[in-house]
Amino acid sequence: MNLMDWHRRIERHTGLLVFGIIAVTSVGGLVQIVPSLFQTSLSTPVAGLEPYPPLALEGRDIYIRESCSVCHSQQVRPLLAEVMRYGATSKAGEFVYDRPFLWGSKRTGPDLHRIGGKYSDAWHRLHFMDPRAVVPSSIMPAYRWLAERDADTGGSIQNRMRALQLLGHPYTDRDIYFAPQRLAGKSELDALIAYLQMLGVSRPEGG
Amino acid sequence: MVLAFTIAAVLWSLIGMAAGVYAAAELVWPALNLDFAPLTFGRLRTVHTNAVLFGFAVSALMGTSFYTVQRTCHIRIFAPNLAWTVFFAWQLIVIAGAVSLFMGANAGKEYAELEWPIDIAITVVWVIYGVVFFGTIAIRRIEQIYISNWFFGAFILVVAMLHIVNSLAIPVSAFKSYSLYAGAQDAIVQWWYGHNAVGFLLTGGFLGMMYYFLPKQSERPIWSYRLSVLSFWAFAYSYIWAGPHHLHFSAIPEWVQTLAMVMSLILLAPSWATMINGIMTVSTARQKLREDPGLKLIVLSLAFYGLAMFEGPMMAIRSVNIISHFTEWTIGHVHSGALGWNALITFGCFYFMVPRLVGQPLWSVRLANIHFWLALAGVMLYVLSMWGAGITQGVLWLSLDELGQVRYGFNEILAALQPYYLLRLLGGSAFFVGAILMSINLFMTISGQRTVTVAPPTTSMRSPAPAAGTP
Amino acid sequence: MVLIRPQASFVALSEAHFSALHVFVRLALWLGMMPPLCAYVGMTKHGWQLGTVEPLMLPKVTIGVICALYFFALLFGFISAAIIGRWMAGTYGATRDLGAHFALLVVVGAPLVLGSLMHLYPDVFLNLLVLVPCLIWSMFLLYRGLPIVLQTTPEQGMLMASSMIGYLFVAFVSLLGISVCLWVYGIGPRLGV
Repeated sequence: MNLMDWHRRIERHTGLLVFGIIAVTSVGGLVQIVPSLFQTSLSTPVAGLEPYPPLALEGRDIYIRESCSVCHSQQVRPLLAEVMRYGATSKAGEFVYDRPFLWGSKRTGPDLHRIGGKYSDAWHRLHFMDPRAVVPSSIMPAYRWLAERDADTGGSIQNRMRALQLLGHPYTDRDIYFAPQRLAGKSELDALIAYLQMLGVSRPEGG
Repeated sequence: MVLAFTIAAVLWSLIGMAAGVYAAAELVWPALNLDFAPLTFGRLRTVHTNAVLFGFAVSALMGTSFYTVQRTCHIRIFAPNLAWTVFFAWQLIVIAGAVSLFMGANAGKEYAELEWPIDIAITVVWVIYGVVFFGTIAIRRIEQIYISNWFFGAFILVVAMLHIVNSLAIPVSAFKSYSLYAGAQDAIVQWWYGHNAVGFLLTGGFLGMMYYFLPKQSERPIWSYRLSVLSFWAFAYSYIWAGPHHLHFSAIPEWVQTLAMVMSLILLAPSWATMINGIMTVSTARQKLREDPGLKLIVLSLAFYGLAMFEGPMMAIRSVNIISHFTEWTIGHVHSGALGWNALITFGCFYFMVPRLVGQPLWSVRLANIHFWLALAGVMLYVLSMWGAGITQGVLWLSLDELGQVRYGFNEILAALQPYYLLRLLGGSAFFVGAILMSINLFMTISGQRTVTVAPPTTSMRSPAPAAGTP
Repeated sequence: MVLIRPQASFVALSEAHFSALHVFVRLALWLGMMPPLCAYVGMTKHGWQLGTVEPLMLPKVTIGVICALYFFALLFGFISAAIIGRWMAGTYGATRDLGAHFALLVVVGAPLVLGSLMHLYPDVFLNLLVLVPCLIWSMFLLYRGLPIVLQTTPEQGMLMASSMIGYLFVAFVSLLGISVCLWVYGIGPRLGV
């Protein structure tokens, strides 16, 4: 078989083998990833979407730090029961300022994409301090340390916003300048709640 | 040096499983985090996945790939100093990684949580690993490159590619960075990475292990050379496309999802072909096989491989995915593969390799057999409880009542899952205890060692000479 | 009996000779009926307990259909496992006689049939709690009994047992997948998809 003779060449030559593997394994990635990088619908924000203001950005980074995505998804699927339970289906344009994306892959706890505005700040405060006080069957751990820590103890909010600005988030220099002031006197809990209250609020058209 | 990797892998398996068991317990008793951020489920689960993937699996693969490449190329490792560097540097990376994760440094992407300084260190060490591995192949004394080395090679090259592309980020401070990609685009890149980390690390790399240790232990050549060639390239080609099946019904373009689903199903063929190749290789052994617990584990691992490689494409089908996505079923699937396939075959290979490396027979065959049953019981309990939980979740989340409204509240359903979490904890603990027994067994075997050098064989692969120190 | 002294039973089976039909009609069919019957009684009396969610009470006809399907699934599993076993037997130097395979599977399945008594109270958790250990027991019997009943060497028996387990995994998971697909397409519980 001609193909097998060809293969005998490859398996006697390290370089050919390496090249072959790289070539064969690159195809799928190129086909799936490259077009998405140029598809404007995936990078065009929905109407009314703002980049995360400083307090919410800090909150988002806390969400990432505490690995909230491990139990909570942020992706409402276009299934009837899901839309009834959580709200409008999640659209790509709502996530353009999400670095990294936090869609999650598991729902130990409920989906959070449309949690913004559903519960009051006070409810969230109580829930984080003691989840079972508001949801008796909850298995979520308590996050008491969030209330005791100041937001942005590392003082890096301006650097973070500048990095995002570099990546294309439309922060103005004014926004960045005044960011530390916005965080003054706030705790990590305030930041996280601010983030959650922003989630899913800019609904896609018709949503 | 191979022994060093083996010991490291065993230690990381214990650490990783301990983290897993504790995390599983936290789902039953959330107060177990003791109000301490590093012990909270979110961070602990991340430590668990990193310890088992990068600590256990990679150490095991590095060790067995170095062992296999030397044996199959009939040459000592290329640049032994570099090989030792890889060992120490890698252990440091995993330790640093675990500590950083406990402290909350997290890039936010699954199995790519380690922040940018460690990512760079990984890249550097990985390049050195590749140099040592391919260097050994380049200076080989046997003309043909044995199939295990294709799989190990693919593992090394593809993981490098995945890691570099997916981890691209803008650093902000010592342990914080922002992903270069955002939103839906990030999702596609992440799951190209995430799925192929499973594909080429947990599947491909371990197939390299299988293709060496199975024929070696059963003293038979690979059943079908042609099948191995065909299935390797088909496997390498098709696995890459399957990533977006993690994103069914999400905001990514539908054509990408459909393509992933189709390729996931096509992937069934080469992956099963490989399994059949393995099974038939050992099944054609006519002579009395040694009553070997290691072989029992490896053979059973193939059954779990078949399960996982059937269940995966099945769950990639949209209709099944509707029910399974976001549920414990996914976790069940992961662990049928991770425990049933990866852990069992690694443990089997360790039972085979360690006595040979130290020139001593295994300390207790009986203990190894107990381990076999504990491991099997543990996996079955784990997987069945997660199937129960997952299908319950998936179906109840979507259930409507007679009026067409959502029937069950989220929290009602969560409450119903508690018993499954408890059963899973039991299953995972049983598996963990089995691993502890194995560690004791291997430790006792090693402590009795005489100094022995396992020389690369000088005869051809056709009639393998028994390794020095074989009982 | 077989559950208390498996070794003796296996030896007896390896020496005896059964026709497949004989084993099937006299034993398998009746043993196979036990789980669905228990399930029927349990579900009509207690409903399907899914945990702290209130028990799911289904109409008797539906329960009847589910139990009938359960029975046929069990039969299919039993017969297909025996046939697959017979197909594999040549590779492992084992007996090809279908009757022997049937007999082996009856013995191997005995713990599960016993455990299915738990279906009389269909709480999913309790059923898992009872049936998983029974499953491990069955697997143990498979590894022990296969080489004896099918008259092959211990090592080849081990290999064949692992292959059978592989088949059973795939069959079971396919059942899950098919069920889920049917439900999503509307045959089964009412889902908002």
